Amino acid sequence: MPGERAALIWGVVATILVVVSTIGVFLVAPEDADQGVIQRIFYFHVAIAIASLVAFAVACVAGILYLRTRDARWDDVGEASIRIGLLFSVLVVITGSIWAKASWGTWWVWTDPRLVTYLIVVLIYAAYFVLRSSAEDDRRMRYSAIYAIAGFASVPLSFYSVRVAESFVHPVVFTSSGANMPGSMLIWFVVSQAAMIALFIALLEVDLVGRRSERALRRLALRLENA
Amino acid sequence: MSGGSQYVVAAYAVIWFLVLAYVVVLGARTARVGRQVEAITRMLDRREGPEGDDAAGGTD
Amino acid sequence: MSRRRQLAALVRKDLRLELRTRETIVAMVLFAIVMMAILQFGFGTRDDDLTRFVGGLMWVTLAFTAVLGVGRSYVAEREQRVLDGLLVSPVPRVVMLGAKAIAIFLYMTAVEVIVIPLVGVFFVQGPYWDAIGWIAIAALLANACIALSGTLFSGLALFTRARDLILPVLFLPALVPVVIAAAGATHAVAGGPHDMSEWRGYCLFLLAYAILFSLVSVATYDAVFDD
Repeated sequence: MPGERAALIWGVVATILVVVSTIGVFLVAPEDADQGVIQRIFYFHVAIAIASLVAFAVACVAGILYLRTRDARWDDVGEASIRIGLLFSVLVVITGSIWAKASWGTWWVWTDPRLVTYLIVVLIYAAYFVLRSSAEDDRRMRYSAIYAIAGFASVPLSFYSVRVAESFVHPVVFTSSGANMPGSMLIWFVVSQAAMIALFIALLEVDLVGRRSERALRRLALRLENA
Repeated sequence: MSGGSQYVVAAYAVIWFLVLAYVVVLGARTARVGRQVEAITRMLDRREGPEGDDAAGGTD
Repeated sequence: MSRRRQLAALVRKDLRLELRTRETIVAMVLFAIVMMAILQFGFGTRDDDLTRFVGGLMWVTLAFTAVLGVGRSYVAEREQRVLDGLLVSPVPRVVMLGAKAIAIFLYMTAVEVIVIPLVGVFFVQGPYWDAIGWIAIAALLANACIALSGTLFSGLALFTRARDLILPVLFLPALVPVVIAAAGATHAVAGGPHDMSEWRGYCLFLLAYAILFSLVSVATYDAVFDD
């Protein structure tokens, strides 16, 4: 049972990293000079955003592998990844909105590239499930794989288009990431990033174990009906 | 709470609330698989029931 | 037949069908004009100076028009069972993709030839034809983007249930970057003094979008019509 063991190991790794990063982010990391405590949202907001991109990349690769091999297991990986990635992107939008409220006083700012981009990403990948629900079997897997690839191609385009527009309209973009982050903050950001990616892998493995048992059950039921 | 720390707590809580909800959904699916396995087992018991009882009686 | 002649024959077929019935392009032009009028009524009463918005409204309208046209693009094939014949014929899928993309490109160009000069009257400041010329170049690039992604998504939506509903859900999120960039390029040259570096940035972005989506389409199009 390699799948179950992987789920267990990643679950443990994710739990440890999440606990460590929570302690680090709230108790150890220094207070930001400009934004104060609000800046602490940054650690998990950005980490979960990058983890969602990792999830969509995994789905894209799974889509390519499905089209190559036509193995239904890659369809499982693709759907599970996109589901988790969508969950994460919704969380990015919600936490980003809370951050906007905390620092600018409004829940939504159309000129903030992160919020707007992730709204587009949520829309792109929500459509994936609409597409899935309107086709069956082999065609569903094929269309899902193609859409996972095309969707992942639109993600950097959305990112870039929003940022290009921003750079012309608002030359100064609010940012707290990048080179100006001191090392004591960067290390906790790296830990929370690792925690979020481990969380993604753990959720993915658990999901895949569930799917495998579901498929085994369906095979069994089919065999009993025929017997 | 001062300086907007309630927002930080809210953001953190939302993350774990939704992740937990997702795990609950996964758990619900596992529960469904479990129920179906039980149903299949019962069906098999009924189908093989008489013979199984005979065999059990024979060894006693 | 060489690929080029196959391509030409398929494009001619689409255009001849359209010229005979004229149902798609006429409807698209009417739709675009009605939609622009509705948007103007919705926004216009509050603010006297709409020039800052009209370029954006125009591209929103054209995006919806594109969804309409792309949705129609395979209907003839489907209803007349031409597609079945095409799929069993020895025409490579890439040629089918190219022919359909060219047809959509020409439809969009035909609509824009009417809509852009007409709407331009309302927002172009400074030399009129000069601005329209720069907008036209950006529009041709945007049409290439619309044609390439539209062909892929309409192929995906073709055999799904509720495909009229699926197509906008798949297609519009992918069109967001195109609308942002095309509207940005339009505004860069429409407001009197041209901002050519901004215009060039948006046009390069549109070019990148078209290249990326043509790669994705060529890589996945075989799988779209696999059965």
